[in-house]
Amino acid sequence: MSSANRPQKWHQWTLVAAAFAAVVVLLVLPLVLIFAEAFAQGVDMVLSNLTSDDMISAIQLTLIVALITVPVNLVFGVLLAWCVTRYEFRGRKLLSTLIDIPFAMSPVVAGLCYLVVYGAQGLVGQWLDDQLDVQLMFALPGIVMVTVFVTCPYVARVLIPLMQSQGTEEEEAAVLLGASGWQTFWYVTLPGIRWALLYGVVLTNARAVGEFGAVSVVSGLIRGETLTLPLLVQMLNEDYNTVGAFTAAGLLAAMALVTLLLKTVLEWRQSSKLNAAEEALT
Amino acid sequence: MSIRVDSIRKTFGGFAALDDVSLNVPQGELVGLLGPSGSGKTTLLRIIAGLEKPDRGRVLFNERDVTTLDVRRRKVGFVFQQYALFRHLSVADNVAFGLRMLPRGERPGRDAVRARVRELLELVQMDTMAGRYPAQLSGGQKQRVALARALALEPEVLLLDEPFGALDAKVRKELRRWLRHLHEQISVTSIFVTHDQEEAMEVSDQVVVMSQGHIEQIGSPLTVYEQPASRFVFDFLGHINALEGLYDGAVWQSGEARLRLDTHGACPDGALTLYLRPHEATLAKAPADNAHLPVKLAARSVFGGTVTLELEPRGWGTGVLEVELDRDTWAALSPGRDETLYLLPRSLQTVTCDGDLGPRVAPA
Repeated sequence: MSSANRPQKWHQWTLVAAAFAAVVVLLVLPLVLIFAEAFAQGVDMVLSNLTSDDMISAIQLTLIVALITVPVNLVFGVLLAWCVTRYEFRGRKLLSTLIDIPFAMSPVVAGLCYLVVYGAQGLVGQWLDDQLDVQLMFALPGIVMVTVFVTCPYVARVLIPLMQSQGTEEEEAAVLLGASGWQTFWYVTLPGIRWALLYGVVLTNARAVGEFGAVSVVSGLIRGETLTLPLLVQMLNEDYNTVGAFTAAGLLAAMALVTLLLKTVLEWRQSSKLNAAEEALT
Repeated sequence: MSIRVDSIRKTFGGFAALDDVSLNVPQGELVGLLGPSGSGKTTLLRIIAGLEKPDRGRVLFNERDVTTLDVRRRKVGFVFQQYALFRHLSVADNVAFGLRMLPRGERPGRDAVRARVRELLELVQMDTMAGRYPAQLSGGQKQRVALARALALEPEVLLLDEPFGALDAKVRKELRRWLRHLHEQISVTSIFVTHDQEEAMEVSDQVVVMSQGHIEQIGSPLTVYEQPASRFVFDFLGHINALEGLYDGAVWQSGEARLRLDTHGACPDGALTLYLRPHEATLAKAPADNAHLPVKLAARSVFGGTVTLELEPRGWGTGVLEVELDRDTWAALSPGRDETLYLLPRSLQTVTCDGDLGPRVAPA
């Protein structure tokens, strides 16, 4: 299928070697060093850091944020992709461009925007504080809100091209056979997009767990309360607790590696399915 | 179920895809919507199915207005051009889909579904492939599965969009016969869309010729071929040669070509175009009294019982002419290289200067 050849000449091999060297120096070495630094003073230190109250609360907070963010953006992404690919309306192009705002904008700016609107002095925040005595910023809701904002394009962006290429005929066929809107989605649309959907979820989750910029603006950095893992890494590093910082960083790195593995498996699974289908044809 | 379409209009962003179209399909007939791409035939089919809403006009099934009835309640069988099989479901599950989507009360039991699926797959001769997935099927097989799926709910109306469009010539011919046969077996009112004249002629009871959003002619295949209602229909049904020249009331002339015609005063003097079908002329080594149309052989192709010749006019006309002779005539003629031959038309269709069809004429 691929038209790539084996390198033939010495300069082609040099190029390949350079690519490998760059990947090792820029990506692999720092990753290895994270774990090396974490375990530099023995496993006991790592374990004691792992079981410290701050670390446990940071892990809990990070997981809660991810647990809320992923389903929200799963539903939101599917709805958005459905609207953009299944309906023809004025402003459809605009909508599909607006989805990309979180990609284009620096997360810190996103955090500040939320602070301006929902903070104690903000337009909505002040009203909520006065009327309902609810504080969004510098608390869990604020962290979740900015994380949802930052990660909202992933699912939609994965689904839109796929749903566009699949077209609407299968869904039309289902409706003609008497399926309701829900049945059509459940029995026809969803099976067609499930692997892409899972891929979008994996990406969303990775970003939700690792988000630093936007969260740091709205978190308020309250130890044991509003510190997520990435924020804890920075805080411990500033406290000169090297083992602690690298243990937290190692946790994040491990999550990233698992994500990468999942992503590779999903991609492999999708392409092998396609290949199988093609082979069956010939 | 009879289908009636009453003054339908449909526009897409200012472009009129259908403009005041009316059509009557009696119960049990097989009707072909024939037209070039962009003539509105697929849009009409989708409106009958309920997949598109018309801007104006009505659709009636058995004289009951279904214009605003939801797609899923119209209960029409529909076969898509690209089949639109559910790619994640096996052949059997594809066929069973409609039965499984029925409301709980009407849904047949597991065994009943299985029996019905087997019966349908036998009908379309696909019973040995029940476990396969769409990606593992050829075009013709997919087509038959799509048909079985559309028939699962026993629709009283069957709509097919370019049913044989994506298949190769041989499979196409087989499936065409088979569809005709199937239609005689189950007698469901059917409408199919095609851009292939031969297909429409062979399969349909009635042909509906469409062009630019309106209906040009409705009639049996023989009628539309022998008595075309407009220049478009004549033009579209089969190949034609257009001969352009001047007529003086007795002789048609173009460069060195001359034809004596008697149009009984139906054609005025002046510019006169003649349409000649490839099979309505023969060739000779000498001109006739009433026809002097010198040509040179440019190419020939032998296929089946006929020989198709491409002829270059000598000293008249511009384009290449196409003429079909039977093999024996061609063998008897066997002209030499570069020999001048003479075209002898048997029958010609006149087209007057305002673009309408005039009378059919023969050299006098």
